[in-house]
Amino acid sequence: MSETVTRNPKLAWREIDGETVIISPEDSHVHELNETASLVWKHAEGQTLDQLAQRISAEYEVSRETARADLEELLTALGEKQLVFVAPDSKD
Amino acid sequence: MPNTPVMDGLIRKTVESHLPWSVHVDLTYRCNERCIHCYLDHQDHGEMKTAEIKNVLEQLARSGTLFLTLSGGEIFLRADLFELLEFARSLHFDISLKTNALLIDAERAKKLRDLSVRKIQISIYSAEPEVHDAITKVRGSLERTLNAIRFLQAEGLNVKIACPLMKQNLMAYRNVQALAAELGVPYVLDMTITPKMDGDMSLLQLRSSTKELLPILQDPSLNPKTCSPDGTQAAAAPTGSATSSGIESRAFEDIPCSAGHNSCYISPYGDVFPCVQMPVATGNLRQQKFEDIWFRSAEMNRVRAVRESQLPVCSKCSIRQYCERCPGLAQMEGGDLLGAYERACDLAELNARIAGLVDPVSAMHAQKSGSQDLCSIPTTHVATEVQIGRI
Repeated sequence: MSETVTRNPKLAWREIDGETVIISPEDSHVHELNETASLVWKHAEGQTLDQLAQRISAEYEVSRETARADLEELLTALGEKQLVFVAPDSKD
Repeated sequence: MPNTPVMDGLIRKTVESHLPWSVHVDLTYRCNERCIHCYLDHQDHGEMKTAEIKNVLEQLARSGTLFLTLSGGEIFLRADLFELLEFARSLHFDISLKTNALLIDAERAKKLRDLSVRKIQISIYSAEPEVHDAITKVRGSLERTLNAIRFLQAEGLNVKIACPLMKQNLMAYRNVQALAAELGVPYVLDMTITPKMDGDMSLLQLRSSTKELLPILQDPSLNPKTCSPDGTQAAAAPTGSATSSGIESRAFEDIPCSAGHNSCYISPYGDVFPCVQMPVATGNLRQQKFEDIWFRSAEMNRVRAVRESQLPVCSKCSIRQYCERCPGLAQMEGGDLLGAYERACDLAELNARIAGLVDPVSAMHAQKSGSQDLCSIPTTHVATEVQIGRI
């Protein structure tokens, strides 16, 4: 079973010089994502973890395993801040 | 937004790269109140249609705008307001609204929550209906506005009260403070009354004199430069401009404000200005692309080139640190974007006096009185422990 990533639809965001600024409307909290996290954020919507890991692997020339491990760590951090949701793919 | 080091860094970055980070769009000048101090012409002279505004929003999103403030006039008079909000949400803007809230009911409050509107600023002139309603010229308006605030709060939305102060409601700031505390919402007191957009100066007679403002500026609950009677420092001052972009920052350094640097204003007719309070026409979105106006308009670049250290009079002023000069008001009231203007000088002198200076004189007033030398002579400062109440 693969998992699908969605951005929290309530958030406001823009990319500035390759980095992403995200505003949470409830508490006006400002989040900044670095270049790598921004790449994930930009392509995350509706993608499976496998698809995202493949993109990171290609972009940063790392193995799929390394990309997948880093991705899971990043998505856990983003999930704890309610910036993304990771759910089982409904097609599975 | 909270002024944090992260925000300062982002503001610096957007100013340096001239990113239009914060844009204020008036969707209409029509209004269902007739506030006595309002600077607008409420007739509809051909406001942008739904598709035109959507096109503008798309251009802004592409240009990097994050903070979008929708205002008027009264925005809820636009039948397409929620359609525009949904569209803005799909473009991932951070959305703030300015409204009198008369048309907000429980259902609309829920819709605003569903659309993740971050902040709703609502004007209240007094907690006393007879004072508030006399300013809006709509009987029952305070009660309706307060009901709307409760609907919005019930949905967990962030409400902020804006209270423009003028002769008619000057001391009402105390009951507005109490009302805000009771509702549990932040508030801002705005002492700025501006000329009408067509240049009519008649509204300025509604302004309180600096003498009348003295007790407010000395109020320890408002002014962090003053101390309460027991010597404790007061909280940050909730005074400011209810019309500003809301992004104040140390990152601006030698530039007067955000106008034209990382923020601008768009009228219901598509006219682009550096700020709602700066009548410098830079282009029209019905004829030009936003990026062409923002980056290439000669007028926008003229505003962008202004540096406080190069202002002919104000740069020589010994009480600059007490001044909240607005370049737009300098243009409107003094006719010169780079010039000094009477109200700012009066208020700077008042603020300096409150801070403990003896007979502070602004550079403009020194020039007018013929004492040119005063411009470069620091005003005497009495001991800093002198309390306001003893002056």
